[in-house]
Amino acid sequence: MTHLDIDREGAERSLASLVLTVIELIRQLMERQAIRRIDEGDLSDDQIERLGSTLMALDAQMTRLREHFGLAEEDLNLDLGPLGSLLPRR
Amino acid sequence: MSNEIAVPAQQVALVDLLDRVLATGVVITGEITLSIADIDLVYVSLRALLSSVRPGGPEPLPVVRPIGTDEP
Repeated sequence: MTHLDIDREGAERSLASLVLTVIELIRQLMERQAIRRIDEGDLSDDQIERLGSTLMALDAQMTRLREHFGLAEEDLNLDLGPLGSLLPRR
Repeated sequence: MSNEIAVPAQQVALVDLLDRVLATGVVITGEITLSIADIDLVYVSLRALLSSVRPGGPEPLPVVRPIGTDEP
C-alpha cells in the first residue's frame, strides 16, 4: 500500500512519485504500442532505429529522475486491488 | 465443505490491459447534463475513438496552424 505523507520532508518525494508514476505508465504504454507498430512491419529500418534509441533514452532518463528523488522501481507502481497492479511487477 | 473453484491468479497489469484495448480500438461515449435547481444549464455530449495508429486505419488529423502563422 502506498501512502502519500504530506509532511515537509516527504512532500517533494511523494509528489515526485505521483507524477513519475503517471509518466511511467504513459512511457510503458508507448513502449508496448511501439513494439506492436514494429510488428506491423510498415516502419522503415531508420524509423525503428530512431524509435528504439528514443525509448531507450526515455528509460534512462526515468531511471535518473527516480534516483534523483531517491525512489525505487517499486515506488512507481500502484496496487489497484482487484484490478491488479498498474505496472507489471518485476 | 468448500466449493470454491481454484482459479489461477492471472495478474494483468493495467498498462498491459490498456495496450490491448488500444490495439483493438475503443469508442467512449458519454452524455452529461449539468443542472442547478432542476434547470438544465449545460449539455455535454462526447464521442471519442481511441486506437493505435495502424496502416490502413483512419489517418490522424492534419496539423492545423492558427490563422496568420506562415507555413514553415
